[in-house]
Order: sequence, then C-alpha cells, then structure tokens
Amino acid sequence: MSQIAKAKIVWLQGLTCNGNSHSFFNYPQMESFDTHFEVLYHPLLLGELTFESLLASHITFDFLILEGALSHDKTILQKFNHSFEDVLDNLSKRAKHIICAGSCASYGGIFRLRDEAKITGALFSGKNKGGYWKEKRNVINIPGCPLHPRWLVDTLFQLIKEEKISVDEYLRPKEIYSYLMHHGCMRNEYFEWKVDSKQFGEKEGCLFYLQGCQGPMTHSTCNKILWNSVSSKTRAGSPCLGCTEFDFPKKALYETHTNMSLPQTPFGISKRAYYSLAGIAKSFKIERLERKLMDEKDN
Amino acid sequence: MKKITKEIIERIEGEATLELEWEDEKIRFAKIKFMNFRGIEQILVNRPIHDAIAITPRVCGICSSSHALAATLAIEDCFAQEGEVLNITQKAKDIREIVLNAEKIQNHIKWFYFSILPELKKMAEVPFNDAFKDKEWLEAQRMVMESLKISAIFSGQWPHGSFLMSGGVTCDPLSSDVINAQNCLETIIRFCERSLLGCPLEEFLSYDSAIQIMGSRSQLSSAIDVMMHFGFDSCGRSYDRFLALGDSYMYEGGLKSAKTTVMSADVKYVNESLENTFFESPTRGYTYSKSALYKKNYFEVGPLARMMVSKDPLIRDLHRRYKDSTLTRVTARLCECAHLLKRTAFLLEHLNLKEASFIPPKYNLNYLTCKGTGIVEASRGSLIHEVSIKNGHITHYDIITPTVWNLGNGDHENPSIAQKAIIGLESIQQADFIFKSFDVCSVCTTQ
Repeated sequence: MSQIAKAKIVWLQGLTCNGNSHSFFNYPQMESFDTHFEVLYHPLLLGELTFESLLASHITFDFLILEGALSHDKTILQKFNHSFEDVLDNLSKRAKHIICAGSCASYGGIFRLRDEAKITGALFSGKNKGGYWKEKRNVINIPGCPLHPRWLVDTLFQLIKEEKISVDEYLRPKEIYSYLMHHGCMRNEYFEWKVDSKQFGEKEGCLFYLQGCQGPMTHSTCNKILWNSVSSKTRAGSPCLGCTEFDFPKKALYETHTNMSLPQTPFGISKRAYYSLAGIAKSFKIERLERKLMDEKDN
Repeated sequence: MKKITKEIIERIEGEATLELEWEDEKIRFAKIKFMNFRGIEQILVNRPIHDAIAITPRVCGICSSSHALAATLAIEDCFAQEGEVLNITQKAKDIREIVLNAEKIQNHIKWFYFSILPELKKMAEVPFNDAFKDKEWLEAQRMVMESLKISAIFSGQWPHGSFLMSGGVTCDPLSSDVINAQNCLETIIRFCERSLLGCPLEEFLSYDSAIQIMGSRSQLSSAIDVMMHFGFDSCGRSYDRFLALGDSYMYEGGLKSAKTTVMSADVKYVNESLENTFFESPTRGYTYSKSALYKKNYFEVGPLARMMVSKDPLIRDLHRRYKDSTLTRVTARLCECAHLLKRTAFLLEHLNLKEASFIPPKYNLNYLTCKGTGIVEASRGSLIHEVSIKNGHITHYDIITPTVWNLGNGDHENPSIAQKAIIGLESIQQADFIFKSFDVCSVCTTQ
C-alpha cells in the first residue's frame, strides 16, 4: 500500500456534552478515514500523545477540531489544571484549519444560554460576530447538536484535497447548509397539501403546524443523508428542533410559534406567497391524505 | 511521609483531576475535582416543561436517551400527581426500553474496547498506539454503530435522538424497521459470541461460576487474566453497598443491597449534598460535582449494583470470590451487556405494532402546577430527574446523575464510593484504572 502523507488532527473540548465526539465515532468508513488522517490527540482515545505531551510539544497540525462552547472564564472552564486560554492559544497557533464541530463551538449553543456574555462559540455568539475570538481567518463552522459525522469528515476530506470550500455568512459549508431539513422529509406531501399531524405517534401528517417542526427553516442535510444511515427526527415522528441554527434552542420546542394563528413562513418564502398558496391548498380536502397511509380496510 | 500530588484522569467522558494525599507511599485520601460547569438545570428554568425532553439529553452525549426518558417520566409523574395517570401502551413502553437498551449496549461495548482494553494492553505492554489501526477497536466501533442504528430506527438519530413525549413515543415503526433492528442486533450478538464472550450467548447467560468465564477463550477472559495479574481482583473495593432505584425487567421496584441481602429502596431517602462544591462556597469548594446519598450513606450504582440486586448467579459467584473489586465491577458491566442483548431480542420479537404509539393526555399541561420525579437505570446507574412546574413552566429542575452517586466528595471519615475504592493503593496507575472501572462520566456530573 502506498504511503500517503496523513493530515494531522488534534481534538479539543470546551464546555461540552461529548455528543459531537460520539457522533464522530459513528462515521462508517473509519479505515478509509485512517488512510488519510492521523488523530494525534482525542480526549477519549488512547494515543501516542497525552494532553501534557501535546501541550509541551511543538508539533504543528492540519486541523484543530473544537467541540463545545468556549469561555475565557477559568471558573467555569479549564483543562487539567491549565487555563483554557493558555491551552487554546497554544494549540490554535499550530493549526492550519480550525473546525468548530457542533453548535456549541460554532455559536455557543445551549450552554451559552446560562451566561451569554461569557460563554460563546469561536467566532460567533449566537448570530453576532465576535465570540471567543473577534476575528480569525481559518475557521469553519459545522453546527448541529450534534453534527452529523459525515458533515465533519466530508469537510476534512475536501480541505485536504485543497478544494475551496465555499461558506455562508455563518461560515458554514454551503454544500451542507444550503439544504433544509425539510428537503427529503417523508412528510413533504402533507406539507404541500397542508394536512396537519393530528397527534404524535403517527406516520401521517406534517409536524409544522402544531408540533413545532422547524424543518422548513433549518439548514441541514438530515433528511438527505439520514442519521446513523437509517433515520431522522421527522422520520421518527418528532419535530426538527432547529439545532444547526444560531438561535438553537428556541423556547417551546414542541409548539408551533404563531402570529395571529399563522405559523412562521419557510426560509426565504414571502408571507404573501406562502399564505396564498397555503390557503388554496387547505381549501381542498384530499381524501387520500386524510386517510391512514396503510389502511387496514384496503386489505 | 506525607505529601500531596495532583493527577489528571484522561480518557473518561469529560475530565477529572485528583488531589491525592499520600502517607507512607499509600494513598490516604483523594479529592476528586470536576472543574467545568455548564448549568443545564438553570437553563431549563422558565421554559415550557416539554423542552426538558429536548434539552436534558444535551447533558450527556453518551447517555442522551436516558436523560430524555428521565425527563419524560418526570413529566408523566406531574400528570399523575395531578390525578391523570397516563396510559402508556405496551408498545410505547417496549420502544422506550429498546432505545435505552441499545444505548447501554453501545456504552458497555464502547467502554470496554475504547477505554478498558487499551488500558489493559498498556499495562501488559502490548503495543497500542493508534485506535484507528487496532483491529479490535475498529470491530468494536462497527458494533457501536450497529447498536446505535437500532436506537435511531426508533429515535431518529443518536446521539440526541427525539422520540419521546409524555403519553408514549412519537415514532410509528413498520415491521420492516423492526426486522432491520433485529438484524443489527443479531450482528452484535454474533460479534459478542465470537470475540467478547467466546461462547453462545445462551451458554454465557447460563453460567453461574467465575471459573466458567475464565475457562473460555475470549476477550473477557483475557481481560480478567490481565486484571488478576495486576491485582485488580483484590483492589478497588468499596463499601459493598448497592442501589438500583429505576425499574428493570430483572427485578421489581427500587432495590438496595448490602453485600448479598436485598431490600426494597425508595427514592424519598435520597438526598443531595453540596458539601465541598463551588455551589456551597466559591472559595472553600473544590469541585462542581454534587454528591448523592441514600439514608446518608454512599451507595454504588451501575451494572454491578443492578446485577447484585437482581441476584445474578454469575456475578454473585464473582462477588463471593472477589467482593466488589475492580474485577467484579468490570465483569458485571459486560455480563449486563449479555443480558441486554437477550432482552432486546425478546422485545423486538414481541413488539406489537398494532398498538398505538401515543395516547394524548387529557389534562392541559399549561394548567399544571406540581412536582414530578423520573428515574431511569442508565448505563452508569440510577439517574433521577426532579421537576417543579408552575402553569406548565419549569420553576426548578434537579438532576442526580449516576456518577454523582459513585464519585461524590466525601471526607476522611466518610469517603465516597470511588474515594474508598482507591484509598490504600500504592500507585496512581492502579487508581486511574479503578476510576475507569466505574465508567466515570464527568460530563453528566457537571451538567
């Protein structure tokens, strides 16, 4: 087998639940990953470097992967008796790319809600620019709570192939975040014809009108590439929680937020366009869509 | 000679540091410090109660479904306190248990192959430098994925799946989904028979003597050999007191046991202590981890506790020989994994898809003002969520995680479970491994 010069990775955690690490461990082609990448340090894995030897070394690496929200405040975040600032300063200088894995490292995520002034993402605090750092040129955000393992690994591969990754205003790769969770949703036909899900626990009906689904406003490929190769939240009958967006988690996640009893409109669709079409669709009663998907009577 | 050393514990879920007090070359006391704090309990306040189902899984990336379930049970308890006992169909109960079991199977396999085996290899000086090149690690990683696929078929994704709601589950699986899950499970069972257990699952589950495991050729028996060689059959012992508060098919009601006598236990005797934490005193405290006690005593929770209270013959035999040593603790977790595989196969086989997944509650949550408690036997032990609500909104949320039980902050006179397990040891390497035998999750602890 020919030897490929491997891209080196260091994984560092801030305030985290480890969910992005565990999501990464679900990457199905680890042997192929290993052919191209070398993980110098991951906090959950035994490797050649310990945390101390990593800090003491002068090794440079291609990727610093950040997981978790960040803070300069040492009373809530430190790493093995070192201040987080010292650790991140030391490591970020040695990295070619900095990848924020998950919504916490990208925007501050859930944990930011406890103290928005002190807990942030790397370059953003919620939707506002300026997070742990004011500016940095080599950062890419891959939000999600957690991120999908393929979002991370595919992006790493694109970067080592020196492809130019085009990103949106939140520094998210467009290949992933131009799509909406809504794309590929099994309930799309119910959305088109405005057939609500009457209650949880059923295959039929759209979760946008009552159950708080944020699929039409949330950028991700969840329903395109699926989770754990088999499913997604909406396929399991639960609403999209909007976890790839800067304002995750909104309040009342299982309720549709309405204004004058009208739901929010899908991303980039004007109210006039949406409500006119919705009104027309709703005026028809499509019998097939009102029935169970698999009606016992048909047998 | 007295001295104090500072040590770090790497490769657990999250991180911990130790301050060890030595006397005559032996560990006399250990302060266990968890220094990172996130405050999910505070973040939940003022939110509608159902948000807890989506937000509490984010306490922990490796036991997210357990948190979601504990939150759901706490909400269902709120309904019950106000007079509406929700009717959860058997189908919904079974799906909840399948998802929980898949998470535990994943956890136990991951813990053994990602954490325990590499440490044992290091001790035995077998080279292990790169997980991604290690055949056993790679195979275990594939089994972890299969297990989580079983979860995702019902929970949409893992980690941080969504499938729970007060009143049942949100998914409505097809028969072909169940077949897919059964085939994933079969793959894991074959792997365990071939590698981990070294014999057919049924045969392993019929064992009632430690000699039977040691006589077979398996990764478990090799791990036991290494542990015995390094003395883990006699060290790592704690109080020999066990507690399992959540429900399980293996026993009825909450149970506790001191040595081998099993008695019923009740969550009302649980109390949380803030001693030595930054919450009690920002200056004198030294950790963000609270402690949990039962009738003012420390009890061990987790697979060993569950196996002890359910009187599992194999673990009882190990306990007779090696008490609550590291060896017994490690074996109990893998033995539980074997039980979970069989139980999950049974649940999938008998899942009645004709039943409803969800029956909506009649009461409107927005009018409820009460308190509810949800208890789940998570991978690492009893997990308790307690919520107070006013008009359907959270006024107070309290989470007691399994690691808070096992790794509390006692003092010299009354050390916690893990503290007691390392007092008297002569090396930090031993202490480090004993900590890992508890499958520590500092992430959960400092939610």
